[in-house]
Amino acid sequence: MLNAERAPVTGKRVQLMATCLCDAFYDDVAAATVEVLEHLGVEVIFPEGQTCCGQPAFNGGDWVASRKVVRHTVKTFAGDEPVVVPSGSCAAMMFHGAVLEFENESDLPEVEALGRRTWELGDFIVNGLGVKTWPGKFAATVALHRACHTRGTGSIAAANLLLKSIVGVQVVEFGEVEQCCGFGGTFSVAFPNISTAMGALKLDHLRAAKPDILVSPDMSCMMHLTGLAAKEGQPIKAMHLAQVLRDALKAQ
Amino acid sequence: MRFQQFDQFAAELKADTRAAVYDGSKKGHEKRTKLLFDEYPDPNRLRHLAGEIKQHVIENLDTYLPAVEAKMKANGVQVHWAGTAEAANEAVLRIMRARGATKLVKAKTMVSEETELAAFLEKHGIEALETDLGEFIVQIDGDHPSHIVKPIIHKNRREIAQSFEREGLGAYNDDPATITQRARKFLRHKYLVADVGLTGANFVSAESGRMVLVTNEGNSRFCLAATKCHIAMIGIEKIVPRDYDLALFLNLLARSATAQELTVYTEFISGPKSPVQPDGPEVMHVIFVDNGRTEVLASTCREILRCIRCGACLNVCPVYRQASGHAYRSVYPGPVGAVLSPLLMGDKFPQKADLPKASSLCGACNEVCPVNIPIPDLLLRLRNRAKEENVPSPGTPPMGAWALLASQPLAWRASLLGGKLIDYVPTKLIPVPALQAWAAKRALPAWRGGEFRKWLKARRK
Amino acid sequence: MTAPDDRESILSRVRGALAPLHERAPLPDYSTEIAVMRSLVAGRDLVELLGERMKRVNGLALTEVAALVAHLRAGGWLHGYCDPVLWPRLAPHFGAELKVETEFDRTRVDDYAFGITRAAGAIAESGTLILHDATTSRRLAALTPWVHVAVVERAQIFSDLPQAVAALGRDPNVIWCTGPSKTADVEGILIEGVHGPGQQIALVLG
Ligand code: SF4
Repeated sequence: MLNAERAPVTGKRVQLMATCLCDAFYDDVAAATVEVLEHLGVEVIFPEGQTCCGQPAFNGGDWVASRKVVRHTVKTFAGDEPVVVPSGSCAAMMFHGAVLEFENESDLPEVEALGRRTWELGDFIVNGLGVKTWPGKFAATVALHRACHTRGTGSIAAANLLLKSIVGVQVVEFGEVEQCCGFGGTFSVAFPNISTAMGALKLDHLRAAKPDILVSPDMSCMMHLTGLAAKEGQPIKAMHLAQVLRDALKAQ
Repeated sequence: MRFQQFDQFAAELKADTRAAVYDGSKKGHEKRTKLLFDEYPDPNRLRHLAGEIKQHVIENLDTYLPAVEAKMKANGVQVHWAGTAEAANEAVLRIMRARGATKLVKAKTMVSEETELAAFLEKHGIEALETDLGEFIVQIDGDHPSHIVKPIIHKNRREIAQSFEREGLGAYNDDPATITQRARKFLRHKYLVADVGLTGANFVSAESGRMVLVTNEGNSRFCLAATKCHIAMIGIEKIVPRDYDLALFLNLLARSATAQELTVYTEFISGPKSPVQPDGPEVMHVIFVDNGRTEVLASTCREILRCIRCGACLNVCPVYRQASGHAYRSVYPGPVGAVLSPLLMGDKFPQKADLPKASSLCGACNEVCPVNIPIPDLLLRLRNRAKEENVPSPGTPPMGAWALLASQPLAWRASLLGGKLIDYVPTKLIPVPALQAWAAKRALPAWRGGEFRKWLKARRK
Repeated sequence: MTAPDDRESILSRVRGALAPLHERAPLPDYSTEIAVMRSLVAGRDLVELLGERMKRVNGLALTEVAALVAHLRAGGWLHGYCDPVLWPRLAPHFGAELKVETEFDRTRVDDYAFGITRAAGAIAESGTLILHDATTSRRLAALTPWVHVAVVERAQIFSDLPQAVAALGRDPNVIWCTGPSKTADVEGILIEGVHGPGQQIALVLG
């Protein structure tokens, strides 16, 4: 959910927030994000000191710990360039979650300011830069997962628009898109039965639609769904939106 | 305990029950969505507006409550105030005793569920009969409702038929029409001999003092046609500013609760019956009930007082669908319950501090709520409160060490580069139980710590 | 006569809870027009629309007394009650086959298969009949029989909900009836005629 209108994008320079999941597991998603942005003529700055958006502790209720991390993040992403994140969830943490936990803190304005310039990747491309079509080719039937933390933002519509504009991409609809994949951060380990049952339902809907690839604007949902499918012995192929966009460019 | 009690409950739920709850909620949600979006160009505008109106009311209850009271008194209603559940029940009993009344029929009201009124009255020798079909079945079974709009969503027709047979309402027959007809026959004669009809209220207009009651079955109408005394138990947050606002709320409530354009019966009651009307209450009492609401009002979660008890957030909630209402151990289950139930506990908040954690924070509840309550934000605030009050939380990894690492870039990078983070700092960054809980049912992707940073450096050269 | 109760303590807790607020949320200014299904009602004949919308909720709108009599006969609802004020107007159309009482005896509620009372109006948009306490001859007669017939004057049909809300007036017990009594408590299956009428009929006259 967006808290405030974002500052319009003027320059062609952004800071990349790669997220801790890319740092630890999904390096190729971050790399694809860089390539995609550079293709659009955007200069990508990577603040080396970045760690995590602070969400794990925020969701766990430990706001003291979370604020510590957010303060670090605010410092690391100083400047006025847009901050682009290949994750709807971490982006929402910056423009919604962090604002909530800083409500009574004196440095709220700094946190809000960072929130106003933070964008999820697809949202940034379409609504920030005004790019409405994507070049290249990608021959696949894809299902687009509606990651929960993109609710109330332009991210899913943006991802849909871009995917549908790529030659060779067929986007299939599937059941109950508004339902969560069951990840939910610490929820996935504190409530493992419910979490995996939710994931199994999502997988059922996905498989029924028979896509070649599941596309997600968030690594965490992808990690949960692919992890679950793999453990069941019926792996599914999943890609991050940035990877599809990058691969389409390569096939140009 | 390694995991949450709530999660255990869900895991052990009978397959039948889970299926009943799941299907019932899913159907309810899908019908609602279709109706709202077919008929209104911008249903979200309606939700936001209704939310703003209710927020205005709860932030001005100090003026609205006395205003409503004055209007009601002018309309000939006797107004009572009850700070606690006990006080509310006592007030009902006092009114009954003063009349020498021994029989009460009641329509569905969530406040009376909070105060456990029926059980209280029975204990004091008063027959208190639930008349809503679902609540009636809950009562004869000694069960608890598991949904605020569909109390027996967890039961199937075979169980109900068995209960009816046991209660002498006819030989076993599980046809829903037969079940309904039998309840109709049995209950109509109960209304006719009752002294008092008890209801809640869905809305109260401050402008006119009129209370509004919506039902589909017509049981509240029967309560108020057959008896001579009407008692309404009303939560202090039920107010809307003006009659004018009712059209918006009635439209939203019916669509959100049961996917109807309008509930079958909408009753606008401003006092005892008309002098020319032979049937119905000659006296009307209203009991305004606090029972923890003023504490909610003082909290940072006061938005939950906007709730109009439509149940849409239950229906859409993936956790509710898996766990059922009884997992919440409260009168209010589902997302609304995960916020409201712990708050209504007052000092005993820790006993239900686990409920706000029973959510993936997916936000579907906020998206459907007809008064746009930011439920996920409230859940987060309560998680924070639980942490501040040091309530233990099984299965939730501690975050202190992680925060330390995540605010020191050198240490962070070292942990990324230092190889398998999982092997490195198991009890701090990713404590073993959490990892095990993950790995029992989900594979982990390959560890690629620091690879992106390496790639970027190479590219920049 | 009210016993001393918790009024003061509740109100003081409310004031205390609200005191820290720097500002209070204002009452938004809006038009109820946004809650009206305008495309549905615009330019429509209200009797016709009422009939359509009632049908959608399994109600029935009739415009001839003869049609009502035929309907009652066909359903086998041969014994009922009629508001004495209405009866002179309807009686000529009711044959001897139908037994109609103009007194309602609450000790024999099961005897009445139909009840005919006056409606104070109707709402076309929602297919709703409006009952007022002052003009409903007996609350029980409008509720307990299987068939309820509300006689509504053509001129009293509102187009939409906000109009009907604005006309609530001073009657102490206004009831909007939108279709027959129903429940979906058992496995979500819709069953009509729970505590109230299993048939809701509007007889539009005038
Ligand atoms: S919180 Fe909102 S959606 Fe849930 S019951 Fe209350 S009004 Fe309905």
